[in-house]
Amino acid sequence: MRAAILRSICLLCAALCLLSAHAGPSAQDILAASDAVRNPDFSFGLTNTLIEYRNGKQTDTSTLAIYSKADKNSGQFRSLIRYLQPVRDANKLMLYNGKDLWFYDPANKASIRLSPQQRLLGQASNGDVVTVNLAKDYQATQAGEEDMQDGERKTRHCHKLTLAAITPDAAYHHIEIWIDTSDNHPIKARHYAESGTLLKTAYFRRYQKQLGQDRPTETVIIDGLDPNWVTVMRFTDWVKREVPDAWLQRDYLPRFKPQ
Amino acid sequence: MKPFALLLLLACAALALRARADDANALALADNAPTQVQAASDWRSFAEVAYGQFRPRSGAAMTHNERASLDLQFDHSFAPGWRAIFSDRLDVNWPAQGADQRAINTLKEAYLSWQVQDDSILDLGRINARYGVATGYSPTDFFRNDAVRSMVSVDPTSLKTNRQGSVMLRGQRLWNGGALTALVSPKLAEQPSSIGLNPDWGASNGQNRWLLAASQKLTQELNPQWLVSGGAGQLPQWGLNLTTLVGAASVAYFEWAGGRSRLQWLQALDQPGAAAFHNHAAVGASYTTEHKLSLTLEYDYDGAALNQAQWKALMHGSPRVYGAYRQWAQAKQELPTQQAAFLYIGWQDAFIQHLDLSTMERFDMADRSRLSWLEARYHWERSELALQWQVNSGSATSDYGAAAQRRAWQVLLRHYF
Repeated sequence: MRAAILRSICLLCAALCLLSAHAGPSAQDILAASDAVRNPDFSFGLTNTLIEYRNGKQTDTSTLAIYSKADKNSGQFRSLIRYLQPVRDANKLMLYNGKDLWFYDPANKASIRLSPQQRLLGQASNGDVVTVNLAKDYQATQAGEEDMQDGERKTRHCHKLTLAAITPDAAYHHIEIWIDTSDNHPIKARHYAESGTLLKTAYFRRYQKQLGQDRPTETVIIDGLDPNWVTVMRFTDWVKREVPDAWLQRDYLPRFKPQ
Repeated sequence: MKPFALLLLLACAALALRARADDANALALADNAPTQVQAASDWRSFAEVAYGQFRPRSGAAMTHNERASLDLQFDHSFAPGWRAIFSDRLDVNWPAQGADQRAINTLKEAYLSWQVQDDSILDLGRINARYGVATGYSPTDFFRNDAVRSMVSVDPTSLKTNRQGSVMLRGQRLWNGGALTALVSPKLAEQPSSIGLNPDWGASNGQNRWLLAASQKLTQELNPQWLVSGGAGQLPQWGLNLTTLVGAASVAYFEWAGGRSRLQWLQALDQPGAAAFHNHAAVGASYTTEHKLSLTLEYDYDGAALNQAQWKALMHGSPRVYGAYRQWAQAKQELPTQQAAFLYIGWQDAFIQHLDLSTMERFDMADRSRLSWLEARYHWERSELALQWQVNSGSATSDYGAAAQRRAWQVLLRHYF
């Protein structure tokens, strides 16, 4: 009898050990790891060039200089943006701090508060342009693993995660994202409205070593309703930068001039 | 049931194939996207030519006017922490605007900025210090008086853009979520100048003035700004600017200024009179649709202006007094009567990409006169073509009915260098 009890305990321990050995990172951990691939964990600056295509023809180009810094409390990024191109918008500025969105035009000195729905750059939403840690705004759940063709037409084995918005700052109701199982590189994401309508598909590609590790330097956004509407966002000039907290407010916007 | 399931399966497979093909096409486009990155420029300049016609208030035949403009902005960091900012506009009109001045230059800004530390900044020179969150009437924009030298459009954005700053020393201290700004603007000349090519120190610096502004973010939603401004011959005027989000698509705003002052008509006619506390306010909201259409509705109140009965008496009284009051209100950018309504609708990429439509309606609630303005603007990479149309309606001596142009249209072409 005692031997049977001991055997049962041993079997239980072995089963628990086996389970813990196989319990991989949670979906939320995978999402956070993929955020860390896209975004450095320190304040930084970069240049974002947006090239927009309609029906195969280039129709618009915008260039933005962006400084980003994570908020100590929320963990979410706040960004200062200066337009470099097109020339009619040159030197206009934007502050992105969660729901606190401000636009400043140096020509008329007007600081205008924006609603999250106001888009300034064609198809790309404000949330697409600036740095966002998805794990702070969405709850991830595992939806299996599958092979997926990446933005460079290579087959990658990926976690498929479903993200549900958990904060009012989240730009989308839910997202499907594919993350490479081997290195947590985000590969592709589909963004949905509450109605279930596909709003856009994004490919993260052209991985290059930037600020200490491989990061995607290009995002290709395909409109959900009109697949002939394509925006390419290209990230260059990555640089680690100190961004004082005092700069991330409306009153500093007229002062912001990226170096 | 089985054939239906099969059809559904085939449809799903077809959709998946289509999506994959769409993605492949998009990625192929991206493969060939240009790789050059635009560098930042210190300059932003454009030239503009305009041709328009208007029907005068007198009912005479249509008259035409032409204009050529050159607008320059320069913002250069010449040493760590130092910036030089210059902004100027030249308008040449045919026929000449007031006082026979064909060419009117507006030196908008010329100042040096020194960022002493990350959180401390000093500015010295002519600065366009503009405050306020409202669109149609901005009572906390304390430095708007006599700021517009050449009015090229009734669009509120144009009035705020094409104006001269004041010479001042300005200091600013910033902290996480807040800022304090102080400025002093000295008297440099006695009278505004009507000469076209003149820096017009008398208009921008006709008296000693000062201003303090403080802002502090209270919550994610609320970031109020408090102001107080005063100067020689002017009792302190207090101000508040407040904005808040209403859902994901709307922003509500409230702008208030108040303080002891003489009634506007006493100021306009330079008459003595007892000062009393007057409120000035603008309250409004902007709503943006998913299709880039923004609608702004605003109610404006000016407690120092004439009420309905006083305004009606003035309309039927001395033309000299009436004219002087209107001229003063226009120069100071104040409302001539106590209550007004303002509507602005802007639609980016309306019907076709790169076409922006804007319309504005100003309504004087005392005499029910109105100004209607409509603009269609198409832009290319470096050029813009705009067509503007404007109608002033109301009785002959009403706020908008008395405007020199009863009906006008203008076409303009702008090119950025």
